[in-house]
Amino acid sequence: MLTAIIVDDEALARQVLREYLQTLGGIEVIAECANGFDAVKAVTDRPPDLLFLDIQMPKLDGFEVLELLADTARGLAVIFVTAYDEYALRAFEVHAVDYLLKPFAAERLAEAVARATARVGHAAAQNQAAALAARKREGPLERVLIRDGAQVHVLPVETIDFVEAQDDYAAFHAAGKSYLKEQTLAELESRLDPARFVRVHRSFIVNVERIARVELYAKDSRIAILRDGKKLPVSRAGYARLQSLL
Amino acid sequence: MHPILADRRRLAIYLSAWLLVEMLLVLLLVRGGTLRLVPAAIVAAPLTILYAFICLSAFYVCRTAPLETTALERTLTVHIAAAAVSSGIWLVCARWLAAAAARMSPWFADASAAIASQQALILTMGLLLFLLASAVHYVLLAAERSRDVERQALELRVLAREAELRALRAQIDPHFLFNSLHSIGALTGSDPAGARRMAILLADFLRDTISLGGRDRIPLADELKLLERFLAIERVRFGERLSVELRLDDAANVCEIPPLLLQPIVENAVTHGIAGLVDGGTVAIRTLRNGSRLAIEVENPCDPDRRPGRGTGVGLANVRRRLDAAFGGDAWMKSSEENGRFKVELSLPA
Repeated sequence: MLTAIIVDDEALARQVLREYLQTLGGIEVIAECANGFDAVKAVTDRPPDLLFLDIQMPKLDGFEVLELLADTARGLAVIFVTAYDEYALRAFEVHAVDYLLKPFAAERLAEAVARATARVGHAAAQNQAAALAARKREGPLERVLIRDGAQVHVLPVETIDFVEAQDDYAAFHAAGKSYLKEQTLAELESRLDPARFVRVHRSFIVNVERIARVELYAKDSRIAILRDGKKLPVSRAGYARLQSLL
Repeated sequence: MHPILADRRRLAIYLSAWLLVEMLLVLLLVRGGTLRLVPAAIVAAPLTILYAFICLSAFYVCRTAPLETTALERTLTVHIAAAAVSSGIWLVCARWLAAAAARMSPWFADASAAIASQQALILTMGLLLFLLASAVHYVLLAAERSRDVERQALELRVLAREAELRALRAQIDPHFLFNSLHSIGALTGSDPAGARRMAILLADFLRDTISLGGRDRIPLADELKLLERFLAIERVRFGERLSVELRLDDAANVCEIPPLLLQPIVENAVTHGIAGLVDGGTVAIRTLRNGSRLAIEVENPCDPDRRPGRGTGVGLANVRRRLDAAFGGDAWMKSSEENGRFKVELSLPA
């Protein structure tokens, strides 16, 4: 018996999947979720074998759900279910098992499930690649997703003041709070808009809009003073990068 | 294409008109000398047919000197010259034919004399006939051109209508159809009566869209009915997440607006507003007629943190373009987002 979780914001769409799966047999639906947050929570609580995932959903879209689940859900076989065919390529990039276009027939679902069944257990390596692919989405990052247990924070990049490296984690400082995410600054730097965020120091990336001024601190060493008074060290290379941007 | 040669019916009418010429020619020949009626008719027949075809060449003269662009003197000169040459050729042919006939049979012995005695009249007749043919060809050319213009106008109208229809079709999001069909499929299992209702709603919506879309202006009441159908369909999909609030001014219902003007706005409200909210919300539509102005407002809650992109921009820009096309500067549209509420306001002449 395989386990499955259905994620779709429309009750009727969830219902049709449940009916099809019941008729098909051999699959137990252990949870149904109406949005991305619930999906992340449900999958974290009890990772299923199969995940039926809608793409257009409130708060978190299907790809963002996958990105957040990348570390937890090893061996998870993902089947996208959507009315939009324009995401098929991206679904392929994140190694989805299949891509069902609404409306679909029971036979088509059976095909997808057969394909997924063959992949259950072998999917671990692929999902790691999927996580990477999901992170390397085209264009600069628009918002940062941070998972805190079963809770998810969505930080629009413009709310971020600066990011500080802390061992294997990045600490995002936004609106007086800080959030930890397992990510290296180098990777983060490559995904943020370079016209907005500058790596001023080995351990700091700063939102240039937040910088009030840069002061000479000692010979060859500067500090950036943010609008809220916070002081960040600026390396020589970091200062050169800042200058080239401003 | 030659307007007479290319059309058998016209050619037949044209040639039968030449029967008159034949009779005239016979009369000339008989009166000119001692030639009797039957041989005169036999000589006149090929001559008439020959000249009928020579006169068809007037078409090419007409074409080189179109009335609209050619000076009158030049037109006259060209045609008179052509007519003189043609009738000259005709006379030469007539004399040659008469001589040949006389050699063949004594019956035609007087033919040459008859033609010689009437040659001034034959020349004049040829000249006038050619000029008449020119006039006829000008008339035919003008008729043809006016038909061309009419056909082009008709083609343009058809093209314009097709373009408009394409634009209207583009306004209905195909994903709306796919999702609705998926809902109908889902309902067939659990609620067959509901599935049938949904199928009928969808059919009615599509029919209205097509029939209203073909018109220039429709009463606001018709557009509102279409919107209510659309929202009823979306309510099946979204369930309790979508509710609708209508505050309508009865006096506004008769105001005429371009068809499917509001549909994309309301569709935006659902797909970019309500669909992005976990708990959904209310789409509010308000209309108000104030003297000579009609105000329409569509308001919906939205997620302020929603991902940008997949924009509402295209749909709203389309609405604005159509407003400009229909009312010039006399109508405007404004959209604003504040505290998680998205609002589109329109103002049109009532």
